[in-house]
Amino acid sequence: MTKYLISRIIRAVVSVVIVVAVVMVMIYSFLDKQSIFANDPVFTKQKSNGKQVYMMQEWERYGYLDYVNYTDYLQELTDNGAITSEQRDVYKNLGKNAAGANDGAAEYIQKFTEFYQSQGYTVVPLKADTRANGAVKDGGQPRLYAYRDVPILNRLWNYFSGLFKVDNIHTVEEDVGERGLEFTLYDPVYGGNKFSPAIMGNGTHHKYLLYFDNQFPYIHQNLLKVKLGMSYSVNKGIDVFDTMTQSQGSFVKSTITYPSGWAEDSADDLHTATYSAGSLEKGELNQKYFVDDYTSVTTVKSGMSKMGYSFVIGILSVILAYMLAIPVGIAMALKKDKFMDKLGTFYIIFIMAVPSLGYIFLFKAIGSSVGLPAKFDMQNPTWLMYILPIVSLALPSIANLMKWLRRYMIDQMNSDYVKFARSGGLSEREIFSKHILKNAIIPIVHGIPGSMLGALTGAIITERVYVVPGVGNLLTTAINSYDNGVIVGVTLFYALLSVTSVILGDILMSMVDPRISFTAKAR
Amino acid sequence: MEKLHNLEHLNMSDEELFSMADRDELASERITAPRYSYWQSVFRVFFKKKINIIALGLLAVMLIFIYVYPMAIGYDASVDPYVNLMDSSTKHLPPWAAFDRFGFQLKWILGAGKSGESTFDAIWYGSRISVTLALVCAAINMTVGVVIGALWGFSKKVDVFMTEVYNIIANVPYILLISVIVLIMSASFWAMVFALTVTGWIGIAYFIRTQVIIIRDREYNLASRCLGTPVTRIAMKNILPFMTSVIVTLVAAEIPSYISYEVFLSYIGMGLKDMSLGKLIEDAQSAMVTPGWEFEFWSPVAVASIIAVVLYLVGQNLGDASDPRTHM
Repeated sequence: MTKYLISRIIRAVVSVVIVVAVVMVMIYSFLDKQSIFANDPVFTKQKSNGKQVYMMQEWERYGYLDYVNYTDYLQELTDNGAITSEQRDVYKNLGKNAAGANDGAAEYIQKFTEFYQSQGYTVVPLKADTRANGAVKDGGQPRLYAYRDVPILNRLWNYFSGLFKVDNIHTVEEDVGERGLEFTLYDPVYGGNKFSPAIMGNGTHHKYLLYFDNQFPYIHQNLLKVKLGMSYSVNKGIDVFDTMTQSQGSFVKSTITYPSGWAEDSADDLHTATYSAGSLEKGELNQKYFVDDYTSVTTVKSGMSKMGYSFVIGILSVILAYMLAIPVGIAMALKKDKFMDKLGTFYIIFIMAVPSLGYIFLFKAIGSSVGLPAKFDMQNPTWLMYILPIVSLALPSIANLMKWLRRYMIDQMNSDYVKFARSGGLSEREIFSKHILKNAIIPIVHGIPGSMLGALTGAIITERVYVVPGVGNLLTTAINSYDNGVIVGVTLFYALLSVTSVILGDILMSMVDPRISFTAKAR
Repeated sequence: MEKLHNLEHLNMSDEELFSMADRDELASERITAPRYSYWQSVFRVFFKKKINIIALGLLAVMLIFIYVYPMAIGYDASVDPYVNLMDSSTKHLPPWAAFDRFGFQLKWILGAGKSGESTFDAIWYGSRISVTLALVCAAINMTVGVVIGALWGFSKKVDVFMTEVYNIIANVPYILLISVIVLIMSASFWAMVFALTVTGWIGIAYFIRTQVIIIRDREYNLASRCLGTPVTRIAMKNILPFMTSVIVTLVAAEIPSYISYEVFLSYIGMGLKDMSLGKLIEDAQSAMVTPGWEFEFWSPVAVASIIAVVLYLVGQNLGDASDPRTHM
């Protein structure tokens, strides 16, 4: 079994990698690169050659291509000791036609061009963009750079190797004094008197690597972070995984003692402090609160995360669906062709045939006429506002479960072993609960892990209709705003959940039914 | 009986009297049974249920409205919705107000929309696009899916390969695929068909594959194989008849699902640019919450639902009727 499972997991991982590769080819190669700037306010401010360079820089940041600037190239040579910094400043001068204002520059421009062309780069010299009187336009300085598309294999490798980030004391490149970890039993965030162990670091990206607080699951870590992909426009500069898991809503203020000793009512969560180079020196406000460069903090908010809301709604609807559909499905099979069966079949046909949008809106109209809140309100949460989304989400899964359970049970009722059991004198009740139900429920069991994990992905229509701040709309929002990092991240997340649920379903099924074995040789 | 005793009076030799009868191989094999025609029985069973006649009638009426009505009134999607654009008294009218405004005509039976257009006309014109899309997609996906699914089920080598392909394709988010294709090819009718069919067949193929595997190893097919029946004949004569009801049932579920999917895609803003049912619903979304304007929203939803339910009902019952076990 273990061997089989390992091979299953390996195959699943391979197919997930291929899925990510397919999605990457689709969005990086088939789609117009220009489209990522559609909602970028900085882009519209850029002018002339500056715009070209800005585009290159952003494309490199979001993994479209490798981009090298002539100035960076000279800087690298200076760092290597090939040229002096005075020479660098002279050679930097490109002249108006980007061919070098003096002989020295021309030589290095030539070298730059040849070197990067041999590496498969495209070298682009941009002439100075001038007005009629010869003055250089805003952003129209001459430029020289080289770029090359990232091959899909490199892109895949970069993506998967950057998936997990382990924080260590050499993460920060700048000089931060003595690097090291510090273990304390009295977390300074709580004033230093309360017993609360924490591990803090200097030189690490996060100040707190391990700490306790009063929020579930009470112990938190910043040592290992999952990086699914950087967002471009949906939540600029924030990783998809953080976008999904950060809490939302209004600020929760409490009295906080900052590292400088200053206490104030604030929503800052000091446990999330991360390193931000030079922030203490530059920001005068920071000097009031902090004593080192770990100044970048997030805030405590009252609501759950996107995934939290989706999961709560999803899991409750799954429970509701199984609790309702199993007894009703059984009743339908027991009273085949009677009123109950006909009513159930009508419901199944209704859900199967009517567009999902149609019955969700219908249900919303019915629900709100009864007085249930039809909109999700994070500011004034009540338990009532969960009812409509949960029931809406459960409607199709109830129909689906009922349909299949009825089908399986009726199939079992006509099988020979049931007739035999009946001829052996077993009561109908016994036959039903001990034989038919046990056999009919097996395929239903297979779907349980899938529907539970599926609750994490949220639901597109339901969340839109009831304005739930969940993850369901993340993918569509990302697609509409060309946010490639989010698309890839969400795809990976979905694909992982889906392959995991298939494997878990198989395991669960073979646990419920000992006859099912995935390792036995096929007939 | 009498004649047998008097044979001698015929003055005939034994050779003349008795000759060996030819053995008619064909006649000896013939079994006397009532004549059975498959499709005749299918329709006999189908029309036995009254609900089917009603549903079929309803379907016929709907098809007339979908395909004939817009042509009969000469509906032009670039002109007709905007004829009353300048007249503010014609906008967002419920049916009774529209009758007051325009007089009692069939086209105002569902009121007027946001630019004073007839909701009734717009819905049928939109249905034409949606239903055509569903029919075309179902035809392509079913054909490709059934053929590939049959191959997939029959060959073990194909099975290993296709199962991995399925694992990959099934995990590429459908919405992403559709939106990428729509972005590359523009949101035209054929781009949408392409987007819905480029991977849509694989689910059907997987379903057919499972069915084929179940039937393939049944004893009667084993016997047939032992007797040397070629695989193609097993596929055509032994397995395909078994699959007819499954395929018809699948078609019944597929067509409404495309209508539903088109509506869904329009709702999330990735649908057709043409005036489809989904687009009408999306456009009228804001009207749903405005008192007095609800007709604009609920009419296309109701029509989409009715079309889908009727198609599903007819298909399901045809599927039931095409199962030979119901012909007894």
